[in-house]
Amino acid sequence: MLSFFLPLFLVFLMLGLPVVFGLLAAPAILLWLNGQERDIVLLYRNVYEGMNSFPLMAIPFFMLAGELMNRGGISARIVGFAQAMVGHFRGGLAQVNVVDSMLFAGISGSAVADVSALGSIIIPQMEKKGYPKPFAAAITAASAIIGPIIPPSGIMIIYAYVMGESVAALFLAGIVPGVLIGIALMITIKLMADRYNLPQAQPRATWGDAARAGGAAFWPLMTPIILMGGILSGVFTPTEAAAVAVGYSFFISIFVLRTLTWRDIPGVLTRAGITSSVVMLLVGAAMAFKTVAALAHTPELLASTLLSITENPLLLLLLVNLLLFVVGMFLDAGPAIIILGPILGPIFASLGVDPVHFAVVMVVNLTVGLLTPPMGLVLFATSAVSGLRVETIARAVMPFLLVEFLVILLITYIPAISLTLPRLVGFVD
Amino acid sequence: MTALLAICNGLGLLNGALLAVGRWIGAICLGLMVVVILAQVFFRYVVQSALPWPEEASRFLMMWSTGLMAPTAFRRGGFVAIDMVIRLLPRLVATGLSILLMGVTILVLWIALGIGWSEVTGIGGRFETDSLRVPVSLDLSVWMKVPKSWMMASMLVGVALLLLVAVELALRNLYALTRGPQGLREIPDIVVLGSGAE
Repeated sequence: MLSFFLPLFLVFLMLGLPVVFGLLAAPAILLWLNGQERDIVLLYRNVYEGMNSFPLMAIPFFMLAGELMNRGGISARIVGFAQAMVGHFRGGLAQVNVVDSMLFAGISGSAVADVSALGSIIIPQMEKKGYPKPFAAAITAASAIIGPIIPPSGIMIIYAYVMGESVAALFLAGIVPGVLIGIALMITIKLMADRYNLPQAQPRATWGDAARAGGAAFWPLMTPIILMGGILSGVFTPTEAAAVAVGYSFFISIFVLRTLTWRDIPGVLTRAGITSSVVMLLVGAAMAFKTVAALAHTPELLASTLLSITENPLLLLLLVNLLLFVVGMFLDAGPAIIILGPILGPIFASLGVDPVHFAVVMVVNLTVGLLTPPMGLVLFATSAVSGLRVETIARAVMPFLLVEFLVILLITYIPAISLTLPRLVGFVD
Repeated sequence: MTALLAICNGLGLLNGALLAVGRWIGAICLGLMVVVILAQVFFRYVVQSALPWPEEASRFLMMWSTGLMAPTAFRRGGFVAIDMVIRLLPRLVATGLSILLMGVTILVLWIALGIGWSEVTGIGGRFETDSLRVPVSLDLSVWMKVPKSWMMASMLVGVALLLLVAVELALRNLYALTRGPQGLREIPDIVVLGSGAE
């Protein structure tokens, strides 16, 4: 009877019950029907204990750091720096769009923050230079998904916590795939620029201009170095590193760049607090859901079903990629990871797929899913920033989506892409 | 129907006020969390003398911040849900389904409230936290260990506020089912951008 909690949960989900309540209602109803009312108390305790965690605290901190940086007006400095670096390439501003997303990814770790912070600057600039607006919006959306792949990443912290993996290992494993997506997008833009005669590039920045742009972006760009340096050198835990990132963002926004005032702080804290409370509650409910999934032997049942289709891990990885892609169309990356991680992770671990590699496959695939309708958070955000209809952006983003899907396949079938860096540092055997 | 409208708007005012207080306290808790963890880093690496309490104190603050701020997100539609089916249905059917789903939500929260109360007032709540102490005399000479129930109450309060919000939203849907949204006080929309870890 208990194994029916998953279909029941899916019914609740499709009908529109908020994920967090569905994660609790489905197992609770079946425990009650099974005569295990006492175990419902355990669900409550699991939610509480699931949230009461020191490593999980990194989530509100990273959100707060991102919020401070966003409000602190660092976006224009990042765009200026990217322009000095690649603005002279063919399809210059589109290339700038990708590079500033890669740089911003090291600071905020959120695709939606990337779109809202950078999109509002770069889309009007691109339009002014003669790029079609849907193209400008599409490349903004397509490059924004690099945000949660290059560290820091809220989604990776959630995965690491729910699945008991090392945050530092996942952060390291995301760097090369994130850069790879960026390079693939830049190559696509180069090809499109030649074929569709995109506007001419701006003249190459002089050394002086490049140095000035670099100087203006210096303080924000130090954030990822402090973060990853602190974590990898063992000075900070990821949670402490996140708190240091908040302190650093606060200091440079208020005292160095002077782009934020004390009056802005309550709003920043409130926004970050509300957003992170939703994630915390979801993670707590996921920990309860995970316990019931284990009690109902769900991973084993699904594993035997999957293995009855094929025992070839390569084919299974393709199937799982398709499953994740479809799930990504309907669910945001965070909740999808929370629901599917505990079910799929153990299956692929038993098939010999490295858990860190599998985590990257899941994170990248579901992050790309933020670009797919009907439930594409990044599409919605880009629509809000650009004023274009979601359908228009969804059509324009198709070539980039195809390229990103090809990169997902590369990441899936060449584990070295994600595992080399964590292996070099000793996180993976 | 006028009575239902009055209840909806009255409950809306109450929730609006309670959640505003919750947001302020939650924001302060979040700010204090940062200060506490930075103090931990400073004392461990600069002063070379680790403090025993920051980790537990920051978890305490995080639990309260979550409990007090999540209901605001729920009230403003910030909880993740797939609303595709509801949007495809005719308005009346969609409102009816929303009421049904809100009924499931209220049931979950009602059961959680009962369990939460017995957890906070039960034996588990009487244990003390490992490192948290508060002064109980004005001259700060006497300190007591903080009972775990103070931390566990964060989730109970959060569930109670969520329940109040769920009841308000269910009643609003019930009213809207018959009369449409006219007369109902508006709930501010959550800013969609940045609504999760994505």
